[in-house]
Amino acid sequence: MDFANRNNTANKFVCPSDRQLALRAKLKAGWSSSKTNEPLRPEEQEAIISVIRRNEEIETAERQRVGRLVERVEKIKLHAVERGPNCCRLCGDTFGLLRPQRIICEDCRKSVCTKCSVDINIRYNNSERTREIWLCRICSETREMWKKSGAWFFKGLPNYDMPRSASATPMATPTGGGRAVQSCHGTPTRGARIKKLTIRVNDSSSSSSNASGQSEGEDELDGASSAKGNTSRETAAAVASAAAASRLQRDESFRLRAYGSIRSFIDGGERKLSNSFFFGRQQGQGPGQGQGQGQGQGHLLAGQDYDNVSMSNVSTVAQLRRESSFLRRSSVSSSWSFSDSSGSGNSATQSQQQQCPTSQHPHQQQQQHCRDPLLGWLEIAISYRESFHSLDCTMVRARDLPAMDAAGLADPYCKLNIITPEAHTKYTRWQRTKTVHKTRNPDFNETLQFVGVEPEELGNSLLYVALFDDDKYGHDFLGAAKVCLSTVHSTSQYRISVPLGVEDQYSNEAEMSQSWPNGKMLISLCYNTKRRALVVNVKQCINLLAMDNNGSSDPFVKLQLKPDAHKNKKHKTSVKWRTLNPIYNEEFYFEASPHDLNKEMLILTVWDKDLGKSNDFLGSLQLGAQSKGDRLQQWLDCIRLPDHFHEKWHCLAPDNPTH
Amino acid sequence: MAGGGDPKWQKDAADQNFDYMFKLLIIGNSSVGKTSFLFRYADDSFTSAFVSTVGIDFKVKTVFRHDKRVKLQIWDTAGQERYRTITTAYYRGAMGFILMYDVTNEDSFNSVQDWVTQIKTYSWDNAQVILVGNKCDMEDQRVISFERGRQLADQLGVEFFETSAKENVNVKAVFERLVDIICDKMSESLDADPTLVGGSQKGQRLTDQPQGTPNANCNC
Repeated sequence: MDFANRNNTANKFVCPSDRQLALRAKLKAGWSSSKTNEPLRPEEQEAIISVIRRNEEIETAERQRVGRLVERVEKIKLHAVERGPNCCRLCGDTFGLLRPQRIICEDCRKSVCTKCSVDINIRYNNSERTREIWLCRICSETREMWKKSGAWFFKGLPNYDMPRSASATPMATPTGGGRAVQSCHGTPTRGARIKKLTIRVNDSSSSSSNASGQSEGEDELDGASSAKGNTSRETAAAVASAAAASRLQRDESFRLRAYGSIRSFIDGGERKLSNSFFFGRQQGQGPGQGQGQGQGQGHLLAGQDYDNVSMSNVSTVAQLRRESSFLRRSSVSSSWSFSDSSGSGNSATQSQQQQCPTSQHPHQQQQQHCRDPLLGWLEIAISYRESFHSLDCTMVRARDLPAMDAAGLADPYCKLNIITPEAHTKYTRWQRTKTVHKTRNPDFNETLQFVGVEPEELGNSLLYVALFDDDKYGHDFLGAAKVCLSTVHSTSQYRISVPLGVEDQYSNEAEMSQSWPNGKMLISLCYNTKRRALVVNVKQCINLLAMDNNGSSDPFVKLQLKPDAHKNKKHKTSVKWRTLNPIYNEEFYFEASPHDLNKEMLILTVWDKDLGKSNDFLGSLQLGAQSKGDRLQQWLDCIRLPDHFHEKWHCLAPDNPTH
Repeated sequence: MAGGGDPKWQKDAADQNFDYMFKLLIIGNSSVGKTSFLFRYADDSFTSAFVSTVGIDFKVKTVFRHDKRVKLQIWDTAGQERYRTITTAYYRGAMGFILMYDVTNEDSFNSVQDWVTQIKTYSWDNAQVILVGNKCDMEDQRVISFERGRQLADQLGVEFFETSAKENVNVKAVFERLVDIICDKMSESLDADPTLVGGSQKGQRLTDQPQGTPNANCNC
């Protein structure tokens, strides 16, 4: 029959024509009649079913595996503190010059500290060139999970079965059976954050106050596991004293017990607790969120998810915790105060309130943090004058810029350029505003003009603004913003506030556009605890000034510590003859205590050796606690992490500080 | 096919100690040597007796590649037309395809284009394909030159190997190359498009436990 033949030659994977459909309908043999005339024999079916069964086993195992992967990431997420843009989202440490360095995660664009992040090398699209990016632990684990689960391929997570034992989410219903802690205990995934916490606890000079801070959390645990009378009594006592806004001095035994409980907290992997710790803290900040807990606590905890419990916790407890974290930060000794808990004391009276609305609260807070800009805001006003083909960009003001010196200030200025649709900068020369000194909230009020901007260009170009910190020895990046110019009209001024983002290729370009005629120097610093000395390794210099007639120099570096408590002698490197890019790799020791280093300044000057006449000055660099940006960072890293070399490039300034 | 009772298979299949799981599919005309190819790779065995595969079959093998343990679930499909509905159902989950023809069989070579169309129709668009000309040991009966095969592969934009399951030529190389390609694709896809990871959790693909990702509103 013609039909069968036609069908065999035709492409079976496209919709058949109307004629074919009509013919098939006449045959009354169903749609697939032409494909297989022979149904599967029973033994064939059996064989196929057995294969499908085998596959099901694998699929089930795979679903469980993916479930475990998901659970692992969820657990890490649970421990994220999310305290705001100035704190590490994972461990909650505040950033600053004397504190952990801020790293912006490539994926979530949130700030984390160095300890809670990893750097990975990734390849640019298909090219061999790699670039280093930083990811927070959550995002790196998420990436890993995407790879391992195959989600990268299917553009979404495949179906998975969550491991039954652990209720991994904060929204999990409180009916979930008993010992969530124990199930946590058994999991192989033990976060680095826990280890980190161990270090912090042990290192902290105020470890006892730290300990008692966490003891409240441990009280909950005690209440949960055994519902001991004295524990709940103690908590109740805490509430009472908080209500009276009295000062409370915790007795020594309590502190000891608390310290032990921290050990178990760390060892036992009861990480939910750490999460609840911070959730509770956030809770306390909300007005009127406090709830009394008193006796009911033990009962509540017995059958419930810890997160829920802690969220609905006494605000005084939260207050306590806030207090403790404050104490830890300011390194005050272990005395306890309830000075500002009076307000919350009023609301801390009812016991056992509804928990659902309050458990939502931290999430809202989280969302809020997502919207917070990391590096501050910039307000710009743009107008276009068609007759002149000129784009006038007014840098109005910037707010909440990162601090760059020990006093928490910066000297910001803006650099502007236009980015063409081909992703190039339109002008080779970047426009620059004046520097506004000693502020993190500068009012620039400066208009910069780009001429030669065609009206049709506006539609697909971007205005790029990068903010830098002005300093003699290199300009440190503060933040950058892109503004789409398509909304700019010739008739009216366009005013916009933009959040500042992290470094990218253009900001690097802007940074490079700044010329440093005096060249750069690579310096490695290390504080040697054995010799109690600062080790300065002068590695190399590049692009030095040419001072001699032969178009070259004979550079050497002089080093000096000022004001020097230990009366170290000045050092100098050997002379490298006839080069502008000398490599020294010479080490010098300056005896100093770490404490002294907080006040001292390392002054490096580069000179051109001239025989028979005085040496020519080539450039200078100062490193110390009074430095800014990268210099300060290196200096502080060196003190904070002794016995490690901290290496950085710095620009040389043209003035001689020793004069 | 048989193999379910094979203790080695069971060991490999039950092994949960791996980093990635890739599903691969071997397709091609009937009797080009798909099953032999798989048996050579998974069990290092060969038989010249021809037993037509019933529908589908798979084997599991865990390989170590780039410091990662990769578990391969390799599907062997029947080339015969009558099983097509079953085999095509498995295209969707496959990350890599080994498209095989027989260098001694002109027809199987001419069908390659059709198989590519099948892949395009049924698989995910980022599935990786390798073209394989099998039975290269049978030089005296060869009708498709290496050059023709390579040209076709170039034309299709895929990599090309000539193999022999009988003589164990290039069998391992094909799988290793395919794993490498998928690995590259994997790191590329995430590095090039990190929003993929972030945006995911609002879920194009819903999970059977929607409460599993409630705190995903944070986009991280």
